[in-house]
Amino acid sequence: MKRRGSGIGCMWYPIGFTVSANPSAATVKVNEDGTATLLTGTVETGQGSLTVLGQIAAEALGVATEDVHVVSADTDATPMDTGAIASRTTYVTGNAVKLAGEKARSILFEAAAPMLGVKPDQLEARDRKIQVKGFPQRSVPMGDVARHALVVKGEPPIGTASFNPPTVAMDPETGQGKPFSTYVYATQIAEVDVDDETGEVEVLRIVAAHDCGTPINPMLVEGQVEGGIAMGIGFALQEEILFDAAGRQINPNLTNYIIPTSLDMPEIEVDIVPSYDPTGPFGAKGVGEPTSVPTAAAIANAIYDAVGVRVTSLPMTAEKVLAAIRAKRARLGVKGDG
Amino acid sequence: MSEKRTAAEKETLREILPEVGTEHRLPATPPPAQYSIETLVPEVRQQTPAVGQRATRLDARLHGLGQTKYIDDLAFPGMLHAKIKRAGVASARIVCIDTRAAEAVPGVMAVLTGREIPVNSFGPSIQDQPVLADERVFHAGDGVAAVAAVTEQIATEALERIVVEYEPLSAVFDPIDAMKEDAPRVHPPAGNVYAHKVIRKGDVERGFAESDRVFEGRYATQMVEHVPIEPHAAIAQWDSNGRLTVHSTLGRITLGRTDLARTLKLPVNRVQVVGTIVGGNFGGKNEISQEPVLALLARKAGRPVKGVYTRREEFVASTTRHPIVMDYKTGVRRDGRILARKVRLVLDGGAYCSWSETTLGKACILSAGPYKIEHLHAEAFAVYTNKTVTGAMRGFGAPQVCFAYESHMDEIAAALGIDPLEIRLLNAFDEGSSSPTGQTLESVVVKASLLKAAQRFGWREPRS
Amino acid sequence: MSELRIMVNGRVRTASVPPETTLLALLREHFGLTGAKLGCDVGDCGACTVIVDGHAVNACLVLAAQADGREVVTIEGLAPADPLHPIQQAFETHASLQCGFCGPGVILSAKALLDGNPDPTTAEIRDALAGNLCRCTGYTKMIEAVRVAAQALRGDRDTGAAAASPPAWSEA
Repeated sequence: MKRRGSGIGCMWYPIGFTVSANPSAATVKVNEDGTATLLTGTVETGQGSLTVLGQIAAEALGVATEDVHVVSADTDATPMDTGAIASRTTYVTGNAVKLAGEKARSILFEAAAPMLGVKPDQLEARDRKIQVKGFPQRSVPMGDVARHALVVKGEPPIGTASFNPPTVAMDPETGQGKPFSTYVYATQIAEVDVDDETGEVEVLRIVAAHDCGTPINPMLVEGQVEGGIAMGIGFALQEEILFDAAGRQINPNLTNYIIPTSLDMPEIEVDIVPSYDPTGPFGAKGVGEPTSVPTAAAIANAIYDAVGVRVTSLPMTAEKVLAAIRAKRARLGVKGDG
Repeated sequence: MSEKRTAAEKETLREILPEVGTEHRLPATPPPAQYSIETLVPEVRQQTPAVGQRATRLDARLHGLGQTKYIDDLAFPGMLHAKIKRAGVASARIVCIDTRAAEAVPGVMAVLTGREIPVNSFGPSIQDQPVLADERVFHAGDGVAAVAAVTEQIATEALERIVVEYEPLSAVFDPIDAMKEDAPRVHPPAGNVYAHKVIRKGDVERGFAESDRVFEGRYATQMVEHVPIEPHAAIAQWDSNGRLTVHSTLGRITLGRTDLARTLKLPVNRVQVVGTIVGGNFGGKNEISQEPVLALLARKAGRPVKGVYTRREEFVASTTRHPIVMDYKTGVRRDGRILARKVRLVLDGGAYCSWSETTLGKACILSAGPYKIEHLHAEAFAVYTNKTVTGAMRGFGAPQVCFAYESHMDEIAAALGIDPLEIRLLNAFDEGSSSPTGQTLESVVVKASLLKAAQRFGWREPRS
Repeated sequence: MSELRIMVNGRVRTASVPPETTLLALLREHFGLTGAKLGCDVGDCGACTVIVDGHAVNACLVLAAQADGREVVTIEGLAPADPLHPIQQAFETHASLQCGFCGPGVILSAKALLDGNPDPTTAEIRDALAGNLCRCTGYTKMIEAVRVAAQALRGDRDTGAAAASPPAWSEA
């Protein structure tokens, strides 16, 4: 029969390593109508980084997401980037993008200041306008300022910047030090049904509460959590590369190496835990890897809650779970307990 | 290359080429007429401020229309197709490689072996990995030779004609066995433990002595693969200035350019690496793999060369996640408060280092869990084995150690009769807590995440 | 050589190809329709899914010759005019695709489902997508988008409204 259980998995994960330099650079170019182009050396791998970086650039310039065109992934044309690794893109590349946007913006402020009769440091960029802080009705449309900068002043609004979390050496003896700039935290709780006659585990529901600092795009954060949970379920229950005695893989194909399908996915509920990291762009940290970290633990603990057996190796296949159930029954039988 | 072919060979080629199509891989008919899509911009992308918006992705529309171009969707005039021969033996000396029969196959334009690689080693930290195996094979997925031909089918068939003679050598597959003194050395004369890290804080033995109970557990995780739905793909081509352009699924193009320049002995400004969008990376496409091979084949053949991994190669030839054996020992007070923790991690480091040093470091630092622990000793080893290369995969050691420390935590909770949520709330980091490496932590929200998840889940509420 | 005459996205296309050519190779290499993807070439991943005579099939498992005389719909044929097909529209607003590589296959599996079953249950949607592997998204936003698209298609049919302008989509 099926027995239900629930289990918690809690984790922490680092963002932006400091043990060695990992810079990212970016360039923001504002066009004569107030739209802009962002150049970044990062490569989109599906997580939505280009969309998020575009939103950060738009925020820095005070324009909308649609106003920023993002160009990426060409070592000739886009500035260097250490890479979309270690969940660092929003934090490190995002900071570079924000700084580059602010540099381009400062050229716009210099051009707008005389137009509005104020000093540049009295200006802010919001809602596609350059306006006087505290007096939003005194403003000039972004396009007018950009055109003025380009064709009247002859100063193109281009900003290039880089960011590197300050490098800090670690103590080689004790491992003490500051290896990462910041960390994110998360908890996933899994609800499973375990069939105590077959050992099969069905994941019914996962509740995920993830910290990512400021969520630049909450919809994409949810996507990362859902995708990470899928990978976590595969890691927990299904996937394994098997080798023969001669060290050759036995199952190098998708028929015999099982990854989750739409049929394997539970109901997923995602909450973003509020937090703000002042060292990240607009308070953002990151989310790409943490999402697949606690899932297997939550499922393992849910299995224990359901049938009282502890499987200590992954994947927790039906065979392993059933063997553990039988072993437990045998132990209880030997002791004479019911 | 083609000038060296005899008249008879050219005649044979003329017979084949009409069958495979001289404009192979370019559309035979014009693509369907472009329908006009109104540039409807979703309102959310027009809103300010931009941060915090559920903005639709800038690539969503092209994805949905099937218009996004991935590397395998690209084609260049005269492009050839490359395949790489995989060793199939886990540990061996290469006695000789005979490629003559493959070179004679009609439609084969270039063949490459390891000894032709200008600098035949790469790796993000230890450069122990060959572009193509030259004298030794260290795992069954090692590439030993490559062929570029007018079609993938001809290239695959030509691989069969390459004769490689191996002298099998001793091998070791289990990382714990590989740590023993008498284990066969994977990369002699060096020992098999190639990376090591220790984190020490406080005094673990004193912590255990002060504990009311001490718990021990061993946990183990398996080798898994990224399984990006898009296989590794790249296209290499040269211009007449000797400048190399590589279109690739590489996630880290700056690093890829550096590695291509190094292995091919080119100035960096003569190398261009271009990406489009990667169809899934997860850490498996972060270092060069076939790119230098394709570049050299392209130089030999005088034509662009494309290589696309088979799904089999995705498993045997690309990197995987480190299996880890994790030993935990934790001392607690009877109320569940953790006083001391000792961790030993043994990472299956595969045939080459790849990202193992970074994975080792991260796993070691994270292994204590998000918990306040005054006395800590965490030690980690990465060990060579003659198996698939273990490298970067989403989490870098975190999924493995989290499975261990959270399973361990629940075992402790059960033994002490404490609710799993309560024991975590008791021990979790607070704002300003000291990490395992003595770092003062800021913007800490572990407890908030625990409480939020528990509330949404209805943790331990009576079931209706 | 196989001489073929196939209706692809509403147009008759002809080709002369070696008999072992798969439908996937025909579409990608001979017709330049690169929306269908090569993920495994043996029918495990579904990235090559196209619709043949109304059925979602793995194009890598179908010989081009087997498609002779049949109607094939690829992702390129899904939105023949303004605006986007409701499935594509829903996928866009729901961020259902991340790297997008599995996308054309998933969308066509969804279309084949909704063409035959306009009011599917969530279980039926999961079942229809079960042959399409996705490593990025966890399928969650895809299933939601298919549900929403089904609703919109039923709504258009009920009111008899021609899809002259895009329906107002609610956010996820």
